[in-house]
Amino acid sequence: MTIRVTPREETTQGFRTLVLVGSLFAGLIAVGIVFAVRGVNPLLAVWSIFRGSFGSAYGIKETITKAVPLILIGSGLALAYRAKFWNIGAESQLLLGAVFATWVGLTWGPHLPGWLIIPLMFIAGFIGGALWGTIPAILKIRFGINEVISTLMLNYVAAEIVKYLVVGPWKGETKFGYPYTDDLPDQAILRLLPLSRISPALVVLAVVLALVLTYIIFRTRFGYEIRVIGESPEAARYAGIDFFKTLLITMVISGGIAGIAGVGELSAIHHNLSYPETISAGYGFTAIIVAWLGKLNPAFVILSGLFFAGIIVGGDAIQMTLGLPAVTVSVFNGFLLVFLIAGDYLLYHRVKLVREHA
Amino acid sequence: MRTRLGLALLMVLLAAALAFAGATSEEPEAADDTVKAAFVYIGPAGDFGWTYAHDQGRLYAESQLPWLETITVESVPEGDAVRFIDRLVQEQDVDVVFTTSFGYMEDTIAAGEKYPDVDFFHASGFMRSPNVGTYMGDMYQIYYLNGLISGAITETNKIGYVAAFPIPELFRHMNAFALGVNEVNPDAELSAKWIYAWYAPDAAREAAEALVAEGNDVLGFTEDTPTVVEVAQEKMDAGERVFALSHYSPMEAYGPDSSITGQLTDWGVLYVRMLEDYRAGLTTDMTDYDLLYLMEDGAVELGGTWENRINPQYVDTLKGIEIDHPEFGMTNIYDLVMARYDQMMQGRDVFDPFTGPIADQNGVIRIADGEIATIPHLFAEMNYHTDNWVTAPPQE
Repeated sequence: MTIRVTPREETTQGFRTLVLVGSLFAGLIAVGIVFAVRGVNPLLAVWSIFRGSFGSAYGIKETITKAVPLILIGSGLALAYRAKFWNIGAESQLLLGAVFATWVGLTWGPHLPGWLIIPLMFIAGFIGGALWGTIPAILKIRFGINEVISTLMLNYVAAEIVKYLVVGPWKGETKFGYPYTDDLPDQAILRLLPLSRISPALVVLAVVLALVLTYIIFRTRFGYEIRVIGESPEAARYAGIDFFKTLLITMVISGGIAGIAGVGELSAIHHNLSYPETISAGYGFTAIIVAWLGKLNPAFVILSGLFFAGIIVGGDAIQMTLGLPAVTVSVFNGFLLVFLIAGDYLLYHRVKLVREHA
Repeated sequence: MRTRLGLALLMVLLAAALAFAGATSEEPEAADDTVKAAFVYIGPAGDFGWTYAHDQGRLYAESQLPWLETITVESVPEGDAVRFIDRLVQEQDVDVVFTTSFGYMEDTIAAGEKYPDVDFFHASGFMRSPNVGTYMGDMYQIYYLNGLISGAITETNKIGYVAAFPIPELFRHMNAFALGVNEVNPDAELSAKWIYAWYAPDAAREAAEALVAEGNDVLGFTEDTPTVVEVAQEKMDAGERVFALSHYSPMEAYGPDSSITGQLTDWGVLYVRMLEDYRAGLTTDMTDYDLLYLMEDGAVELGGTWENRINPQYVDTLKGIEIDHPEFGMTNIYDLVMARYDQMMQGRDVFDPFTGPIADQNGVIRIADGEIATIPHLFAEMNYHTDNWVTAPPQE
C-alpha cells in the first residue's frame, strides 16, 4: 500500500467548508489529547474556554476588545497573503503605528480638539505602519530578499526602537523615572463603553475596514491583480501587471492597517507608549492564524478574529477554574494553525491510498 | 446514515460535557469566614525565580491560614492585567488580589477604584490608595553583601550584570551590589546588559554568554529564571572560572559550583501578615499601608540555598582573603560579610550601604557625605549608576 498524491483541479464550496470544519475539529481533538494527558476532561476544558469568553457579559466585552486588533491586522494580512507576500511583521507595523501616533498625540494633542487629534493620530499610525511595511516589499522586489525573514527580523528592530524611545528621549516626566511616555492628553483618548474596554468607534472602524478590504480583494482591478500575482506570478507577468506597484500598495495597506491597530491599543487601552510587549500582546502573530482561519477573506476574518479573541480570553478562565498553565492558549492556537494549513493541502491535492500490485 | 449516527453521538457527548461543566460550577458555597485571595503572576509559577518565590509564599500562607483559599493566574502581560483582575473579581468573587510585578502598578490602582470592596496589594510599587496597599521584601542590603563577596572573588576585576528593566528597583540593587564590590576591590569594574524582560531565559543566556566573553567572571542578574546560574555552571564545567548569584529563589541546584551565594526572599511571611491584617480589619484605609521588609524584618536572606549563606565549598576561600578594612581593621572577607550582616540585621541606622558620599558616573554627589539615602530616594528616584559601573544606564 502506498499513498498517492495527485493535484486537485477543482473544489466545490461544500468540500472547502468540509475541510475547514474538519481541520478545526481535528485540531480540537489534538488539543483535547493534550488536556487529557494533563488529567483534565477535554470537553470540560474546551467548554470552559468558550464559556469564559462568550458565556458571560464580562467575557463578551473582553472578547470584543481583543477581537478589534485581531480583525484589523488579520484583514490586512489577508490582503498581503492573497498576493503570497508572507508578512510576518504585523507586530512591528503595529508598534510603529503606535509610535507615530504617540508622537502626534503628545506633540499636538494638548493644542487640538479631540475631533481633530484622534483622526490625525490614526493617519499618523497608518503612515507609520505603512512605512515599516513597505521596507520588506522593496527589499523583496528590488533585491529578491525573502520577505518572511525581513518582516520577521524587522519585528526585533521595531521593538528596539520602542524600547529606545521609552527609556530615552520619550521617557515621561510624570512617570517617576519608569520607562513609559507621559499619558496622552484626555482629548487624544478614545471613549469607551461604560464598564468595558470597548471603543465603539474602533469596533466600527475595524468592521468597516474589513468589509472595504473584502470589496477591494474581490471587486476591484487592484484586488484582481493581487490575486493573480498570488496564484500565478507567471500569468501576472504575462498580463503585464506591475509587481512593484501592486506589492508596494498591498504592503502600504497591510502595514498601515496594522499601524491603525496599534493606535487603537494606544488610545483606547494603554494611553501611553511603554514596552513593546505591553503595547501588543502578540496580536501581530495571532492575527496570522486569524487571517488563515478566515480563508484570507476579510469578511470572514471578522468571525475568526472573534473566535481567536475568544480563545485568548477563555484561556484566562481555564487558568483560574482548571489550574491549567497560561501557555495552554499557545498550544491551542498552534495546533489549530497546523491543522488549518494541513487541511489546505487537501484542497489542492487528492490523497489516495493505493494497493500496489506486483 | 453513518454520519447521522456520528452527529447524534457528538450531541450526546456535548450534552454530557455541558451537564458536567454545569455540575462543577455549582460547588457548595464556601463558609463565610473564608478569605479568597488571588495572585497575579508575571511569569510561569515554575520559573524557579521571582514568580516561583511568590508561589512558595502563597503555599506557605495557605499552610498557615486554614481560612485561606487561593487562586492564581500566571504569565499575565504587564499591559493586560485589567482583564485578569476583572475576571477574578467579577467571576471568581475574590476578596483580596495580590499583583506581583512592578508593571501592574497603574492597573492595580485603577482596579482599586473600580472595585472598592476588594483589597489589592501590589508588590514593589509605590502608588497606594484607600484599598491598594504595597509590599516588598527588598534585597538591596543582601545585594551589598553579594558585592563584598563578588569583589573579593573576581580575578579579572570585571563583574557583569544581566538586567531586566531600567527602573529604580534595578538601580537600587545594582548600585548596592557595586558599593559592596567597591568596598573590598576599588579596581573592579561592573558592566550591565539590559534585556528588557522579566522572564526571558533565552535573552538572559545570550547576555550572560556575552558578559563572560567580555571577561566578566562574576555574574549578577535580575531575570526570573536560573538561566544565568546555569550558564556560569556550564563555564565551570568547561574549566572556566565563572561565578553567579542566585536571585529570589534558591538556585544552587542549577549551579552547584557556580552559585557562590545569592539573594533570597521569603514572601510567605509578608503574605501571612497582609492576609491576617485584612482579616483583622486593619486594611480599611491603606493609603499609608506599605510593608517594606528589609533584613531586620526577616523576609530576605543571604545565600544560594536557605541552608547556607555562602556555598560551603568557597567558605575557606573567602576566609583566606585578608583585607585591611577602615572600620574593622585587619579581617577577612568571610568575617567582614558576617559582621555587615549582623549590623544590617539591627536596622538601617546601624549600617546602610547607601551612606554618602555616593557619586554617580558623572561625578555628581547623589547622596551627601555622612547621610543615609532616604527610602523615597532609593525606591522612586534612583535612576543612575554608582561610579564603578562602566556601562551607562540605557536612558543616557
